[in-house]
Amino acid sequence: MSTITAPLATEEANGISAPPAHDMAAVMIGGVKIYGMGETEVRALDGVDAGFRQGHFTAIMGPSGSGKSTLLHAMAGLDTLDRGSVFIGDVELGTLNDRKLTTLRRDKLGFIFQAFNLVPTLSARENILLPLSIAGRRPEFDWFDHVVATVGLGDRLDHRPSELSGGQQQRVAAARALVSRPEIIFADEPSGNLDSTSGAELLDFMRRAVNEMGRTIVMVTHDPVAAGYADRVVFLADGVVVDELSDPTPDSVLDRMKVLGGPS
Amino acid sequence: MRAMVATALKGLRANSLRFALTAASVVLGVAFVAGSFVFTDTINARFETLFTDVYAGVDATVRPDGQGAGGPNGDSFDEAVLDEVLAVDGVEAAAGGVGGFAQLIAADGSPIGGQGPPTLGFSWTDEAGLNLLRIDGGNGRAPVAADEVAIDVATAESQDLGVGDTVTIQTVNGSGEYTIVGLAGFGTEDNLAGATLTAFELTEAQRVFDLEGRYTTIDVIAADGVSAEALVDGLSASLDGDAGGSLEVVTGEQQTQEELDDITTGLGFMTNALLAFAGIALFVGAFVIQNTFRITVAQRTRELALLRALGAGRGQVTGVVLLEALIIGVLASAVGVGAGIGLAEGVKAVMDAVGIGLPDGPLTIEPRTVVVAMAVGLVVTVFSALLPARRAALVAPIQAMGEPVARTTRRSLRTRTVVGFSLSGAGAAGLAAGLAASNGTTLLMVGIGAVGLFLGASTLAPLFAAPVARVLSVPLRGISGTLARENTIRQPRRTASTASALMIGVALVALVSIVASSIKASVTDTLEQDVAAELVLSTSASLEGVSPVAVDELRSIDELSAVSPILTGTATVAGEDVNVAGVDPATIAQVYNIDATIDLAAIGDGLVVAEGVAEARGWEVGDMVAVDYGPERVSTEVVGTYDGSVLGNYLISADTFTGRVGDGPISLTLARLADGVELEPGRAAAEQALAGFPNIDVETKSETVAAAQAEVDQLVALFSGLLGLALIIALLGIANTLALSIVERTREIGLLRAVGFSRRQIRSMIRLEAVMTAVFGAIMGVAIGTAIGFGVVSSLADQGLGSFGFPGTQLVVWVVAAAVAGVVAAIGPARKAARLNMLDAIAHS
Ligand SMILES: Nc1ncnc2c1ncn2[C@@H]1O[C@H](COP(=O)(O)OP(=O)(O)OP(=O)(O)O)[C@@H](O)[C@H]1O
Ligand SMILES: [Mg+2]
Repeated sequence: MSTITAPLATEEANGISAPPAHDMAAVMIGGVKIYGMGETEVRALDGVDAGFRQGHFTAIMGPSGSGKSTLLHAMAGLDTLDRGSVFIGDVELGTLNDRKLTTLRRDKLGFIFQAFNLVPTLSARENILLPLSIAGRRPEFDWFDHVVATVGLGDRLDHRPSELSGGQQQRVAAARALVSRPEIIFADEPSGNLDSTSGAELLDFMRRAVNEMGRTIVMVTHDPVAAGYADRVVFLADGVVVDELSDPTPDSVLDRMKVLGGPS
Repeated sequence: MRAMVATALKGLRANSLRFALTAASVVLGVAFVAGSFVFTDTINARFETLFTDVYAGVDATVRPDGQGAGGPNGDSFDEAVLDEVLAVDGVEAAAGGVGGFAQLIAADGSPIGGQGPPTLGFSWTDEAGLNLLRIDGGNGRAPVAADEVAIDVATAESQDLGVGDTVTIQTVNGSGEYTIVGLAGFGTEDNLAGATLTAFELTEAQRVFDLEGRYTTIDVIAADGVSAEALVDGLSASLDGDAGGSLEVVTGEQQTQEELDDITTGLGFMTNALLAFAGIALFVGAFVIQNTFRITVAQRTRELALLRALGAGRGQVTGVVLLEALIIGVLASAVGVGAGIGLAEGVKAVMDAVGIGLPDGPLTIEPRTVVVAMAVGLVVTVFSALLPARRAALVAPIQAMGEPVARTTRRSLRTRTVVGFSLSGAGAAGLAAGLAASNGTTLLMVGIGAVGLFLGASTLAPLFAAPVARVLSVPLRGISGTLARENTIRQPRRTASTASALMIGVALVALVSIVASSIKASVTDTLEQDVAAELVLSTSASLEGVSPVAVDELRSIDELSAVSPILTGTATVAGEDVNVAGVDPATIAQVYNIDATIDLAAIGDGLVVAEGVAEARGWEVGDMVAVDYGPERVSTEVVGTYDGSVLGNYLISADTFTGRVGDGPISLTLARLADGVELEPGRAAAEQALAGFPNIDVETKSETVAAAQAEVDQLVALFSGLLGLALIIALLGIANTLALSIVERTREIGLLRAVGFSRRQIRSMIRLEAVMTAVFGAIMGVAIGTAIGFGVVSSLADQGLGSFGFPGTQLVVWVVAAAVAGVVAAIGPARKAARLNMLDAIAHS
């Protein structure tokens, strides 16, 4: 498996960026995000260059406050950068208005958040189909059945989120992220709230989505075990990429974290 | 305790905008309460000053017995009484006078004034101390010749008339031309509450009022050192037995008070209207307040649970919520009192503008006004917060740990059903009882019954919220519709009580439309089926009616084969105040198809009663019933029954009527064309015969139908306009509920945005929620309004409301309007929801 990081056109971060290489599903170039002003100014992202290759599973790690969520939100078009640019495929997010951005999120991106992933008034099935319903697209039933079977939710589909366990809820969210065949799935500590068994089930599922369905996944995590499911780990600290690791195992991740210092 | 107060204050601050909107409904209600008090007190005080001033010189008044403060239709007595009065010891001066109906006619032939305030004519009194009218320097002089009059300054100004102008004046005796020689004021005022005043020279006044040689009052000044009471005693003693013992002597003070009472009851309709709307506004407002508290309590479940976990008792938690209500109540009521004073000023300005001028002077603000209005506002606010406060107390400490969960247990649903049905049942029963009863408590019973019905319906409403939302969402396609439906169903109580506020307004509007369309249907049916006459004659000033002289004029022309006047007035029949109609026995059958058991020509001095009434009272033909006509009680025979009609439930002959009830107005005269006379020529002939009576309108039957319908429509428009206020409060409530629920759903909305919901889809979801809630409320309103309307109309069936009119289109329009209003109410919340920051939603878990 290739583990190329893609710091493309770094020097031109503030100018018009060159389009990313073809096999990149998503790229951030010179990403800067500043919160607050003057005394209270926080540089959540301080010039981040990162690329996420198609069909790869990337984990993002780093100490608390290092900018992981900020990076993910900016990549996913949920938040805007103060400087730099984000490409999904060859579309630069900064050039899109809210309506186009919304459509892009709906059709090309999937999300799994740490908690509160589901609309409480909708059943599991309706939640899974939500992106398709919003787009007014008909679900492909074979694909739906396949996804549901993979997640292992068959008999819980007509239950509301409040009637599902935390792990089941996260799996519903994962199924939703997959069912519309998005190009990239972003996940922010998806297993953070789960016990180790449920967490393992979810991560296993994500791994299979990459292997068997060819998805691209970017996942934020604090957990070396979770990171071990990925193809590559990117380490953040104080808003910059400080290191990366290919074909990680929980042990190699732990070692690298020790070198980088501080608990994550 | 301090912690509780701090918590309450924090709660208020956190939701200050929401609470301000809530308070708006209290402010409106309180404003109407305060406004009606201030307005009434001001009228009373101003007129009291004016009348006390005007009547200052009058120590005693001699008048026909039992007449009360002299209405122009009162009895009269021989002018010789004046000499006797002057001969009584202690009398310094006395002057006799007459009064009656006098209508100024504009140059174009149309009557001036009289649409509301009366058009009064007087004789001019030379005795300075006894003259109520006053002519200032430069405004001319008193009328001394038969063709001279003085008119009031306000009318002169509004009609652009001045000294030296000629004017036509119509009285019971026909019309005449007069020269205006003076412009008079009433006391310090230019006018008496909008009435048109005309003063004639005494003999001319007696002639035009058909009172030659007679007086309607004698005002007396006491000699020095003689008290008003002594004067009255002296006068009573020496006049005893005069004029058939039918004279009465009262002090000037009493006369003043009676005049004052007349005026203030006349203007009292404004007070009642304001109070009625205060009641409606507060009732609707109570739902809005309750809902706001319900939601804010739900949102603060964790905080309240934390208080409980830290050792706060249930009572203390309840206290926090009630304290918030108290603070809002005090603030809103205070603002409401201020607004009420403004409202009173506004009503006064409007009345001035339409010509019902009130005497100048400051508003009267009694301490009672402030106390009562504040108390009403406080009680309503705190009372509305009671249920939410109780729910707050039921928050378990454990809930500090988790998400707020709305639990609906089977038991609470059963309780709700039982309570709801009991309330509705009791309300319906009260309503039915109120409608069936025919005495004074009726309106109160109807009101209480309606309130019960509303409360019952709103208690049951949560049970219907889900099914109704499901049905309403059937035509909706797409995920926004599904989500809107689910959001509407998710908190059925919240949806129901938001909708209930709208229900009340819509029900009242529906009720008004139904009663109105039933009236229209009945009037149309009656006129088209029962009235055989082709022409209908009436006056716009219904107080006065068609002059008997005019009736005689009509009878003298060949184009008409029958002219039948119908008089209306009141009498007390077997202890109950009722309307009676006096009909002309000789002609009534030719103009009106009355289905009576006897020939009305044979009515004599008997009574013909509507069948329904006779049955209800157990009267048989031949029974004697006691009838009080004013001062006299007469045992009258029931000579027949009839099918009841717009003429009312009691018929007597016109002679009995004029003889006993007094000169009640001829409210309607029906005329039949002679054989072979076409409609238009017949009408032209009638109009020509009535040239001297420009205040009489000659209409064909179809014109009368149209006019009656237009009048009813106008009333409906007026009511609907005022009820619009209740609808606005309800819409505030919808906006409020939505806005609060959006705060609760921040994360959910953010999530929807993240997975691809566009702003537009968010807005349309919120809008659909508002529309579903509004339509739900409107449907309930129409249902209840129809039920009450049906009850009201059927209970009035024997009062001439024979037909039930169901204004289907109009009701559908109201439901559609509610939907549109829902869209409007959703504008703010929808925009707010669409603008929510997605990251707030996602990041704050
Ligand atoms: N809305 C905001 N306003 C101000 N500062 C913010 C905001 N969001 C994030 N920050 C700051 O930006 C920095 C990066 O935050 P971010 O949430 O990306 O960290 P993170 O790596 O995801 O941390 P964690 O592991 O705790 O989730 C932090 O210092 C944070 O305090
Ligand atoms: Mg984070």
